[in-house]
Amino acid sequence: MLEQIGQLAEPIGAIIGFLLTILVLSYVIGDNFLFRLAMHIFIGVASGYAAVLIIYNVLWYQVIVPVIQILRGGQETGFLTYAIQVIPAVILGLWMLTKASPRLSRYGTPVLAFLTGVGAATVIAGAVLGTIFPQVAGAANVLNRQAAPAELSSVVGWFINGVIVLVGTITTIIYFQFGAKTHEEGLPVQRPAILNYLASIGQGFIVVTLGVLFTGVYLATLTALIDRVRYLWETISPLF
Amino acid sequence: MTDIICPLCGKPNPPDLDECQYCQAPLKTAGFVAPPEGGEDADKLFPLAGKDAQPQDQAKEGGTTANLEQAIPDWLKKTEANFLDQSEETNIEEPAEPGEDKLSQRIDSLFKEPAASEIKKENAIDDDWLSSLLAEAGVDETAQPSTPGRVAGETAEQGIQEVEAPPQQEAAGEPAGEPEQEMPPAIPAEEKPDWLASLEAASTLKWEAAVTPPEQEQKPAEEKLPEPEPEPEKPPELPAQPDWLKPASVEEPPTSPTESEPEIAPAELPSWLEALKPAETVAPSPPVEDVSSADIVTAGPLAGLRGVISPHPSAVRPRKPPTYSIKLRVTDDQRARVEMMEELLADEEKPSPLPSPPILTTRNIFRIIIAVALLLPVIWMIISGGKSASPPQPGSLPGVVDFTQQLQSLPSGVPVLIAFDYEAGFSGELNVAIANAITQLMNKNAFLVLVSTTPSGPALAESTVESVHPLGNTKTYSSYANLGYVPGGTLGLSGLVSDPPNILPYSLNNDNVWTAPPLDGVTNIKDFSAVIVFTNDADTARIWIEQAGPSLRQANRPLLFVSSAQAEPLILPYYQSTPAQVQGLIAGLSGGVAYARTLGNVPQNGEWDAYSVGITVSILILLVGTIAGGVIKMASGGDNTDK
Repeated sequence: MLEQIGQLAEPIGAIIGFLLTILVLSYVIGDNFLFRLAMHIFIGVASGYAAVLIIYNVLWYQVIVPVIQILRGGQETGFLTYAIQVIPAVILGLWMLTKASPRLSRYGTPVLAFLTGVGAATVIAGAVLGTIFPQVAGAANVLNRQAAPAELSSVVGWFINGVIVLVGTITTIIYFQFGAKTHEEGLPVQRPAILNYLASIGQGFIVVTLGVLFTGVYLATLTALIDRVRYLWETISPLF
Repeated sequence: MTDIICPLCGKPNPPDLDECQYCQAPLKTAGFVAPPEGGEDADKLFPLAGKDAQPQDQAKEGGTTANLEQAIPDWLKKTEANFLDQSEETNIEEPAEPGEDKLSQRIDSLFKEPAASEIKKENAIDDDWLSSLLAEAGVDETAQPSTPGRVAGETAEQGIQEVEAPPQQEAAGEPAGEPEQEMPPAIPAEEKPDWLASLEAASTLKWEAAVTPPEQEQKPAEEKLPEPEPEPEKPPELPAQPDWLKPASVEEPPTSPTESEPEIAPAELPSWLEALKPAETVAPSPPVEDVSSADIVTAGPLAGLRGVISPHPSAVRPRKPPTYSIKLRVTDDQRARVEMMEELLADEEKPSPLPSPPILTTRNIFRIIIAVALLLPVIWMIISGGKSASPPQPGSLPGVVDFTQQLQSLPSGVPVLIAFDYEAGFSGELNVAIANAITQLMNKNAFLVLVSTTPSGPALAESTVESVHPLGNTKTYSSYANLGYVPGGTLGLSGLVSDPPNILPYSLNNDNVWTAPPLDGVTNIKDFSAVIVFTNDADTARIWIEQAGPSLRQANRPLLFVSSAQAEPLILPYYQSTPAQVQGLIAGLSGGVAYARTLGNVPQNGEWDAYSVGITVSILILLVGTIAGGVIKMASGGDNTDK
């Protein structure tokens, strides 16, 4: 019985996927009931799946099952170590549930503050050590002669590429410089003319960057469309 | 002709006048018609004197008393009040005259409750003065003509007689008519027959008995109430004294059932006002409460009083409250307005449906045209399974070759951490590269540790590993552990980097994979031979680089990425930086096809051809749209210039 159901699961799933794909593609004629129906189904399924995942994968396998395993094995030391690690997290987690009640919400503020503080510290430390310092070092070494290719034909390209990267980095940073001084009374506050000129160049680099990002999004979308069309064809091609 | 006596000045006026010709007081309403010569008018004034007084029941008499008092003309009441005031002032300021002593005695007799044994005698006295009054009104008319002087100078005795007249009328049980009304002729006192006198006496007795309680009840009142002292004995300063300082005898006489005259003027003046009154000035006539129409209490402690609240059951009888119609009287115009208001309110409550946009608009037409232009070549390429477009060279795309070399350089059987951090919608774009990367790792017999920082990652990881097989082997690869979802975002990832066994102690199969080889020696992320991240989000890639990159670089472990095309521009700087923070990168479908080409596993399902055609069509649409927009703008600008 289960095997038969398992054999039917794939064609049933294919049919459901086919229908849902058609519903989503109906957006080509504008917002309509079929598209909204598909969206509601996706949101509901995603929510249910996330809830099951949290209960099954997090609460069960990361909190409860370890305790059961330790109790089965009779490892008192392991249990103590695990309890020291898990019990504070469980207490903080239960404490955080007070945020669900408007009346008790303020009691959960310390937990939220703890999470926010630790999270901010983690993100900032990672950004400084993982992005800012390495990227600054990379921009500084872009025209490092020791990193230049040995072939002469490649050196020109390396140099031009390095100059573009250097100019683009500097002018983009200048574009986001908004400090200015007042020179005369009554005149509007303006940046120095040289900075305005360089900022306009940086604006051009920003436009190109946004264009590239949009291109990447478009290519990803086009690939998704091709994948759906292929899926539809693979679903209905056995019928012909 | 009959003259009208002015009620204010007392002077006679012709009957055709409405106002007094002397004082302009209204005559018709309260004027007194002076009796003409002859006995008829006198009879009109005193109709009871010429009537046969019929004995009636006490209840009937009590009921008719109020009616009779109502019939007393106003001028008579006023005259009575004036007389009483004048007599008071005379008693206070001047020594009483002999004639007025008689009046005082008569007034006192009114106040004084007669004893039961004296009732009969008093009745006789009443009869006498009544007879004299009748005689003056009728028989002695010739001797006392009705002249202004006479009317104005009415003696106190006449006043008393007039005051006494209403009880006689009440005793007759017949309401007094207007002075002009036809009255029976009066009978002089000397000519009254015995039976009439006895009837009058009997009627008086009965009338008094109607308001007089039984004798047993009167006795306590008689004992309590002292006899009023004679007025002349009062000291001269007496009027200036406050009322409360006066002896009890000069206070208001007690209410007596036999009191035939309830309207005692001095009792009506408040004591505080009496005290304020100057002694030299002549007090005006005190206000007299018109209680003539009030009923006399016939029972209870207030018996004999007039004008108090009636204890009659009808006054306290519960009655059904009047019913008022709650139906509003509205006109047609008002009803129409109300209906209009109701319609407006009903429309306000009703949600007005949004106007449905027309399907065939210019925007929708263009949208359909672009969709068809894109879909037709793509569908055609998918159906035909086109293989005309050559796959990209791995060397032409940054990171593909390095990615391949990093995996190729891994030892056999080493643990590799793979993060499935992409959404299912991007599986079509990433699956080519992911499937080839996992195949390459399976060929290396690497132990795959699958984690995810997105909720959909564990399911994608499981399905991907189950669908990929190593070359030359159709069996499902079993050397892997799906550890599932890492909660907490950046914090969870940081914990995973520092201590993976504590963050994900068990796999989804409930296996403690950290106690068995090859993961038994893993305590940090740098203990993995390589870390591969499948992601479609640039931020997720940045977090992985920031959190795991330093530890991996420190241990010289590669951090490889398979990303979507939309995340490539932000990951590429990490790959191209010096030193490189990302050691290999495969981005988008083109990177996946190029990577597959290095492994000799290029997909033959027409996707690459469809992708190529789709990009070409998209570029054409952009060009055509740009040119068309420019032309339209120029045309519209020309039109504006012409205008």
